[in-house]
Amino acid sequence: MARKDDSRTDLGLIRIHNNAIAQTASIASLEIEGVKRVGKDIKSNIMEFLGKKGITAIRVETNKNEEVKVEIPLIIKYGFNIPEVSSKVQENVLQALEKMTNLSIKEVNINVQGIESLRDLQAGR
Amino acid sequence: MRIFTVLGILFYSSVIILAGMVLIVFAFNLLQPQDISNLLNYAQSSSNSRIILGLSGLLLILISLSFAQLILGRLQREKTIAFATSSGEVTIALSAVEDLIRRLSGVIPEIKELRPDVIATKKGIIVDLRVVLKKEANIPELTSRLQEVTKTKIQEVLGIEEQITVKIHVAKIITADEKDRKKRDVEKDELTAPFSGYGRA
Repeated sequence: MARKDDSRTDLGLIRIHNNAIAQTASIASLEIEGVKRVGKDIKSNIMEFLGKKGITAIRVETNKNEEVKVEIPLIIKYGFNIPEVSSKVQENVLQALEKMTNLSIKEVNINVQGIESLRDLQAGR
Repeated sequence: MRIFTVLGILFYSSVIILAGMVLIVFAFNLLQPQDISNLLNYAQSSSNSRIILGLSGLLLILISLSFAQLILGRLQREKTIAFATSSGEVTIALSAVEDLIRRLSGVIPEIKELRPDVIATKKGIIVDLRVVLKKEANIPELTSRLQEVTKTKIQEVLGIEEQITVKIHVAKIITADEKDRKKRDVEKDELTAPFSGYGRA
């Protein structure tokens, strides 16, 4: 879904797709030490099953005032302090999105879905 | 969102009431199987009515799925610990806390199996632990240590100062004989391949 607040330049329109925002948020989240991976939801699981990659479970919403709200599900590595990691992720995502998109970011909400599983550790993912 | 929930509840109530009414009508013999057959024949007679039927079915499925997602989302939201920061909100799924506690079984060697159940209440966090111990364990000492380790780990990782209650239920104590027997059973299963001598002269 393309965002409504398309910015117009002399040459034409610039549109930033919600997926681009979600992927930026995903990369910025993974940069933080202690984050194992971005979590999944039903939609991303179905897409992955269908072979479509690059669909994250990160939700991006824009309100009437053109403010963006991002919700990131995360899996945290064992042994890290969750509030500390979450706070770092929020700051990094906020900075990355503001730097890359010039959008006004209202909220970056973190949803810690789980701690890395033993299966993750064994697989060395 | 609230309107959608109300509409969903109304929809489900109407469907269930309708199903109940059909059953009652059947019970009182007011509706004959022939009538239903005629109705179905009529519905299938023209392509327009079939398209309408198909689209109605699709709409019903979509309504059901979105309503189920709404309920599941709400249930999931209730099973979290939440706190706010300057940049937004952080929610931690209770299943994540359970994952964390499950890891403690590796820290204490006397624990064979650990099944945690975490509940968040207004008074604090309640952790119910169901453990399977090895025979050599000293239960009072071990349970006390486990309570302390669990409490410290949750406070350390979640950074919360709320009251944490750790309840332990020792479900089973495995003896060395039992462990050996299980090990032998596994080895035996692995060694005996079915039909291994089949086809030999």
